[in-house]
Amino acid sequence: MGMQVIIFIQAVVNGIMIGGIYALVAVGLTLIFGVMDVVNFAQGEFVMLGMFVTYLLHLLLGLDPTVSIIIALPIMFCLGALVQKTLIARVVGLPHESQILLTLGISVLLMNLTLLIMGADPHSIQTSYKFSSIQIGPILIMLPRFIAFAVAMVASIILWLFLSRTELGRGLRAVAEKPEVAILMGINPKKMHWLAFGVGIALAGVAGTVVTPFRYIYPNVGQVYVLIAFVIVVLGGMGDIPGAILGAFVIGVTESLTSQYVALDLAMLGPYIIFILVLLFKPTGILGKGRAY
Amino acid sequence: MQKKLCWIVVFAVLLSLGSVGSALGAQEVRIALFVILSGSGADLGEQSRAGAVMAIEDINKSGGIKALEGAELKLLIADVTTTYSKGPNVTDRILSTSKVAGAIGYGYSGMTLTCLPTIQKARVPLITSSISDKITAQGYNYVFEICPKGSHFGRTQVKFAAFLRDKYNLKVNKVGFIYENTAYGTSTSQGLKETCLEEGFTNIGLFQPYDKDITDAGPLVTKIKASGVDIIFPVSYTPDAQLLVSTMKAMKVNPLVIGGGAGFCWPPIEQAIGSRVNGIFSVGSWSYDTKNIFDYPQRKDVTERYQKRFGTFMPEQAGEHYAMVWLLKEAIEKAGSADPEKVRQALADYEFGKSMDGMMQPGKIKFDETGWNFHTFPTMIQWQNNTVRTVFPQEVATAKVIWPVK
Amino acid sequence: MADRDKRVNWVGTASLIVLAAAVLAIPLILSNRYLFRVLINIFFFAALGSAWNIIGGYAGQLSLGHAAFVALGAYPTGLLMFHYNVPPWAGVLPAAILAAMVAYLLGKLVLSLRGPYLALATLAFGEIVRILLLHFKDFTGGPLGVTIPFTGTNVWRLQFATEHMNYCICLGLLSLCIFVASRIHNSRMGYYLQAIKENQDAAENLGIPLARTKNLALVISAILTAAMGGFYMIFMTYIDPYAVAGLNLSIEIILVAIIGGVGTVWGPVIGACILVPLMEISNFVLGSGRAGASMLIYAVILIIVVLYSPKGLITLVPKLEGYRSE
Repeated sequence: MGMQVIIFIQAVVNGIMIGGIYALVAVGLTLIFGVMDVVNFAQGEFVMLGMFVTYLLHLLLGLDPTVSIIIALPIMFCLGALVQKTLIARVVGLPHESQILLTLGISVLLMNLTLLIMGADPHSIQTSYKFSSIQIGPILIMLPRFIAFAVAMVASIILWLFLSRTELGRGLRAVAEKPEVAILMGINPKKMHWLAFGVGIALAGVAGTVVTPFRYIYPNVGQVYVLIAFVIVVLGGMGDIPGAILGAFVIGVTESLTSQYVALDLAMLGPYIIFILVLLFKPTGILGKGRAY
Repeated sequence: MQKKLCWIVVFAVLLSLGSVGSALGAQEVRIALFVILSGSGADLGEQSRAGAVMAIEDINKSGGIKALEGAELKLLIADVTTTYSKGPNVTDRILSTSKVAGAIGYGYSGMTLTCLPTIQKARVPLITSSISDKITAQGYNYVFEICPKGSHFGRTQVKFAAFLRDKYNLKVNKVGFIYENTAYGTSTSQGLKETCLEEGFTNIGLFQPYDKDITDAGPLVTKIKASGVDIIFPVSYTPDAQLLVSTMKAMKVNPLVIGGGAGFCWPPIEQAIGSRVNGIFSVGSWSYDTKNIFDYPQRKDVTERYQKRFGTFMPEQAGEHYAMVWLLKEAIEKAGSADPEKVRQALADYEFGKSMDGMMQPGKIKFDETGWNFHTFPTMIQWQNNTVRTVFPQEVATAKVIWPVK
Repeated sequence: MADRDKRVNWVGTASLIVLAAAVLAIPLILSNRYLFRVLINIFFFAALGSAWNIIGGYAGQLSLGHAAFVALGAYPTGLLMFHYNVPPWAGVLPAAILAAMVAYLLGKLVLSLRGPYLALATLAFGEIVRILLLHFKDFTGGPLGVTIPFTGTNVWRLQFATEHMNYCICLGLLSLCIFVASRIHNSRMGYYLQAIKENQDAAENLGIPLARTKNLALVISAILTAAMGGFYMIFMTYIDPYAVAGLNLSIEIILVAIIGGVGTVWGPVIGACILVPLMEISNFVLGSGRAGASMLIYAVILIIVVLYSPKGLITLVPKLEGYRSE
């Protein structure tokens, strides 16, 4: 195969790997939005918290990140539920400006609280498989990234099963799609709200956990995730989960191709331009199932 | 009424801020140390602080400032953070609330550059180990650069590559540069390009800046692979150097690495990738094992004490800051005063290097009209046995190149 | 009724005069550089908050990318000064025009969006500007930014060895912003903006020209913000894309306006008077220790304000709420 083709395929593969992780963050965001109609600007910060929880578990208990998901996930879920009950619940139904400002405030709070407690220095986790890679023909996939991708896909499948097969999951979807009917059916929307928020945050936390083997961990790291997540969510249609997953891969590959072929430092420009185009011409997202205003 | 109360409180607070400028004790001379102690540049700041603190202790143990009746030297340490725009604020805060005889800082070239106007306005002499060529090119007369210039770094990297090529008969088709995109990387890579053409490396396959806060080196390494270069000259700080080397090893991209200093010659990279670091070359402005240190027991002792106390070999910036603090002390001695204007004059007029400030290789310090110490030059190190050893040029080297590298 | 109004105005005006006198007298009394910088920072953020308020507070259109306009003011001013020796008071004019044009285009593109989509679009806008500034390094200096070297006091170039003149300039710019903000607040346009904030569709039904009004507010806001950007260039003598176009700056601007009093004339001033000293005190107290404390406090205050006092802390000082009751 020609070198150019190999480079292209490698870039696409890199993009898919990244996209899998973005999917987790974006799905959490879109779930929260779908069920509660709340825009969670703090989503990226919960990814960052997931990273720090994993780092601390590794530091104190020597746990490998992939293993520590078992502990990190419930922690993040409870954290999410707590934040929802104490803060978010008060702005459900209020104008969007208040919601945006509140979640923005939570985002700044979490970032700086972490900064204060853990300091600004970047940390990293050393794993035995940090330098390994999987080789498929001429294409190389770094092992930590592949594991992250695999875990993200497993998490997505579990989520899908949860939403379609369990009663709680169906309750969530009911509140998302037809809240008035859901109440009539006896579903408690308040419960669904903290459940949705908890799940959304747990997904973000898992995303944070799986990237720790190959990312530096520092308080500001969440900011980049939240911006990308919003782009994906709008692209996929706000509130639409399959859309978010599809959008995640589109954005991941776009980012990878932009950085490979346009310029390294313009990597995010591709996604942002797509974002603006979608907002202007198809605000309900590529699958057309998003909420419009 | 409430509003007036608000204003009174605000003004009271501001006035109290103003009065927190402590009086200068007669037995004490203060100097300011501006370092990055938080954020991605913290490893640089930490080693700088370590070196400076050791110097202060040694100076005070040996009798303080003799020209001022043994006055003790005191260090005012300020964290300028990794955010450039905070630097001038912190500088002003320290310099207008305390009287200092001089200052040392800032680590990152980008940070030093942004703070220079403030230093000039505050009229306090600054000794710096930042390397950007721009530092001494703007006509400031309060800045003194003790180390080689960025463009010289680049030249030395390439000259060393030519040295290796000739000595070991290397086949070099293409060379490539990647550099972090702030003042440090940009300055160094400039010198690289020009010298390459001089030394016969005419096929430059890659000249790629990257974001200093890069988080995923995959695309960058893919580019390196695609370019097919035999030698790569990366100029990076610590986080990006670690990321780069890890990713290159993982993606099995293995050109000869001749690093541009900073992240490639400081301890954290060995802590991150262990023995994989051995064999890597880098340029540097100071190393603990050059002849002007190894041949002088008192100076060698300093490096050994550092090793014992901090657990790693004495890194580049620790050594330079040790020397800079001593240099400032000697300048105060020569000036016979803690007045910053007189200290500045002393720095500009005299030749230094005879005491512990001579740890700055090659052992002689003299600043020209632009504020640059023209005696100094860069050296090449190679990682051997998980530590750095100076291997080039021969006049200062105390170790030999280990070849071949894996 | 009339008597009560008269009384309120008398006390308000008197306190304003005392305040103005104190503020003007400061350069004559103080000489500490650091204190000047703190006061100038207060004025700076008060002005930025005021300018943002015109589109974000009065009209309720949350702009999360306003730092881009600061950059659009700072960069042309700095580059013209650096390359062509254009004095900053002249260079800020093309900068303001550029900012106005960009604001107009942006307005046409995104001001028809509603709810979170608008906020997100402005966020993307801010980031795009920052990325472009970083990328075109031959033009903008990229991550190295623009540094105006200090070659001695030069009145023509507004370069001074002390901070007294910067203090006066910033105070003047702040007064301009407040003046513009209060003129808008008390005009028909202010009424339109308020109606738009309450309910855009109802406002449209009343015959209020939505697009034109919102766009005009954004353009005015952008021009004032750009002027502050120009000031930033000569005050800090250093700018880079992160400092003047970053999300952090956009958030700080919003904090000042929201915490102080969104939709009021003096709200942002109060906001700046609280937030800036808070930041300085926490830096001073913690010194070279922990960063993050001040932003943490801001965030807590923001959350409290959003939940319990959405109109801002200015509601604690009723006499300042402006000439129109809410």
